[in-house]
Amino acid sequence: MLLFAVLALSSCTRADDKTHVYLQRFFGECGAEYGGKTDVAKAEGECGIITTVTNAFNATDGKAVVDTNVIAWPGYPQLTAQMAARDPPDVVSMHENVISDYASKELLEPVEPYLKAAGLDAASFTKASQEGVTIGGRMYGLPWDTHGGLWHINTKLFAQAGLMRGGKPVLPSSPQELLTQARQFRKRTGKPYLIQSLVGDPAGAARNLYTYVMAQGQPVFPDARHLKVNTPEGRRVAEFFRQLTAEGLGTSNMDTPAAIAAFMSGEGGIYPTGTWMIGQFQQESATPGRPLYGSYAVMNYPRLWGQHVIYVGGHAWVVPKRERTPAQKAAIARLFRFMAQHNYDWARTGHLPAVTAVLDSPQFRALPHRADIAPLADIGRPLPGYVRRQSAVEGIVGEEMAGAITGQKSVPDALATAERRVNEFLAELD
Amino acid sequence: MSAGVQRRWQGLLFVAPFLLLYCTILIYPLLKGAWLSLYRVDLFGGGTFVGLGNYGRLFADPVFWQSMANTLLLALMIVPLLTAIALALALALNRATRGAAILRGVFFSSAVLSVTIVTLIWRFVLAPDAGLLGELWTAAGWAPLPFLSDQSLVLPALAVTTIWWSVGFPMLLFLAGLQQIPHDMYEAAALDGAGRWTTFTKVTLPALKRTTILVFMLQTAAQLQLFGQSQLLTAGGPSGASRTAVLFLFESAFGRWELGYASAAAEVLFVLIVAVTLTQYALTGRPGADNAR
Repeated sequence: MLLFAVLALSSCTRADDKTHVYLQRFFGECGAEYGGKTDVAKAEGECGIITTVTNAFNATDGKAVVDTNVIAWPGYPQLTAQMAARDPPDVVSMHENVISDYASKELLEPVEPYLKAAGLDAASFTKASQEGVTIGGRMYGLPWDTHGGLWHINTKLFAQAGLMRGGKPVLPSSPQELLTQARQFRKRTGKPYLIQSLVGDPAGAARNLYTYVMAQGQPVFPDARHLKVNTPEGRRVAEFFRQLTAEGLGTSNMDTPAAIAAFMSGEGGIYPTGTWMIGQFQQESATPGRPLYGSYAVMNYPRLWGQHVIYVGGHAWVVPKRERTPAQKAAIARLFRFMAQHNYDWARTGHLPAVTAVLDSPQFRALPHRADIAPLADIGRPLPGYVRRQSAVEGIVGEEMAGAITGQKSVPDALATAERRVNEFLAELD
Repeated sequence: MSAGVQRRWQGLLFVAPFLLLYCTILIYPLLKGAWLSLYRVDLFGGGTFVGLGNYGRLFADPVFWQSMANTLLLALMIVPLLTAIALALALALNRATRGAAILRGVFFSSAVLSVTIVTLIWRFVLAPDAGLLGELWTAAGWAPLPFLSDQSLVLPALAVTTIWWSVGFPMLLFLAGLQQIPHDMYEAAALDGAGRWTTFTKVTLPALKRTTILVFMLQTAAQLQLFGQSQLLTAGGPSGASRTAVLFLFESAFGRWELGYASAAAEVLFVLIVAVTLTQYALTGRPGADNAR
C-alpha cells in the first residue's frame, strides 16, 4: 500500500528541472487545433493566438515552462476561490475594470519590478491601457489590449439607404442627425438601423450610457462610492435610445448570439459591440456568398454629444500575491517581455494593441479597418481606477438601462434604481 | 458497563463515520452561514459584526423581494404541473412492452443533460428571431413572442424549460410506485365493476399517495433553489423579472463579494424551504400513517 502511494505521488512530480509558471486564462480552449503549434503568425482568433504565444515561449525560453489552465470566461469566481484558499496562479488574464477589486485587497503584486526586469518601459504602453492597470499610482498588470465599443456596419444596407459617401459610411454627429438617418435607413431598407443586444447582455447598454454621459463632460463616478447617472445628461442618453427602440429603429428582443446572427445575415445596419468581433465579421465579409460579403466596415462610436470619448476596457496579465522563488519571478518577467513582443499578433484578434509602437506601426495600420478604429486608443476612457466591483456595477447599470431602453421602466425610475442599487452596495465596502 | 449501554456505544460507533461527515459537510456550513450572515464580510475573511444589519438591509431591498416572488411563482408554476405530467407519463408507460421501455428512456433522457445543454436547447426554441417557435409564429403570419425578454412571458418560459428537464426522475418514482401496487387490487376493482376512472381515483391514486407527496416535496425544495436556467437563459432579466433567490445570492456573493449579505439571503431561503416543506408535510398527513401502501 505504502509502495503504491509512493509510486502514485512520484508520478505527479515534474519530469524536468525547469522553472514552472502557472498561467490561468480565459479566451477559450483550442488545444485540439493549436496544442502543439508555435508559429504565432499563422494562428487565428484569441484562443489560437494566445495558445501559440505560450507554446512559442515554452519552445524558446529554455529555462521556464508555462503551464496553462484555461477557465470559462470570465473565471473570477474560480480565481477568487483560489485566492481565498491562498493558492492562486502565477499569472492571470484579467479585465482591467476588475483589477481594482483585487488590488484594493492587496491580492495582486504591483508589476513594475517585473516590467523593469523585462526591460519594458511603462511609457511604452498606450494612455488608455496604462490608465486601465494603474490603481493609486501603481501598475498592477501588464497591459495586453484595449477593447471598447465599435459600430460594426453593413455598408450594402447603408448604400441602399443613401448613407455612403466616398466609400465610407456616413455617421451622425448629433442625436437629431442619428434619428433622421435611422428613419431614412428604415424607410429605404425596411430594416432596423441598430441591432441591439439587450437580452441577458447588460454590457452593451451600460457601454452606451457610460460613453455618452462621459462625452457630455459628466463623470459617471464623481467619487468611489457614488454612481451618478440620474442626471439631465444620463436621462438624455437613455431617452434617446428609448425613442430609437420605440420607433422600431433599434431591435429590442435579441440576446448576443441572435444579434450576431442578425448582423451577419444582413438584418440591420449597425451592430454596436466590441473590438472582439472584427475578426469574425471580416471573415464573413471576405467569404463569397455570405450575406455580409464585401459589405463590412467598422467605426468608432460617433460623437453625438460634447467630446468624442468612448468608454473602453482592456485585458491585462496580473500577478497574484504569493511566495515565489527568484527563478519564478525572473521567468514571469521573461514571459511578460515575450508577450509584449507579440502584442501585434494579439492585435490581429481585433483588439487594439497596448503597446504604442505597435499601434503606430504600418504593419498594424495595414490590417483591415484598423486605421479607422485606431483613435480609440486615445479617445478611450475607462472608469476611474478607484471604482471597485466594476463588473457587478456594469451588470446593474446595464440591466436598468436595458429596462429603460425597452420601455419596461420609465427612464427616471430605471436610472434612479441603478444609482440606488449601486450606491447601496458600494457604501458597504470597507 | 451494562449490556444496554455497551450496545448503545456500539451503535454510535457504527453511525459515527456518517455523523462526522454529516456534521462536517452539512451542519457546520449551515451554522457557519448563519454566523456569517451577522457580519459585513467579503470572501477574504475578516469582517465587521453588524448583528441583524444584513437582514434589515435585505428586507428593505426590493430586488430581493422580487427574486423571492419570482422563486415562489416559478415553484407554483412548475411543481403541480410537473407532478401531473410525470404521473401521466408513468401511467402511460407502465407496461412491459418494448415501445414503452424505449419511451421511458426517451422521457428520462432530458434528465441526464446538464443545465448548460438544456438552456442552450431551449434558447434555440424560445428566441424570437431565429428560434423554433419564432419561425413557427412567423410562418403562421404572426409576430414572434419574445419569451425571454417580455416580463410576463419569461417565468412561464423558464417553467416549461424546467419541466422538460426535470420530468424524468419523478416519472421513474411514479413508475416504481405503480409497480408496487398489488395486481389483486385491480382484479378486485374489476370484479366490482369499477370503470377506468374509478379504478384510477379509488385504487391507483390512493396507493400512490406516499410517492406523490415525496415527488411534491422534493420538487418544491428543488424548484425553490432554481438557478442555472435563470442565470444562463436570461441572466435574471428583463429588469429582474426572472431573477430567482439563488441567483440573487450568487450575484451578491460572487459578483459583489458581499458574503455576509448573501448568507443572510441564504438563511431566509433556507427558512422558507423548511417552512414550505413542513407545511406540505403537515397538510398532506404523515406518509405511511394511513392505509396507503
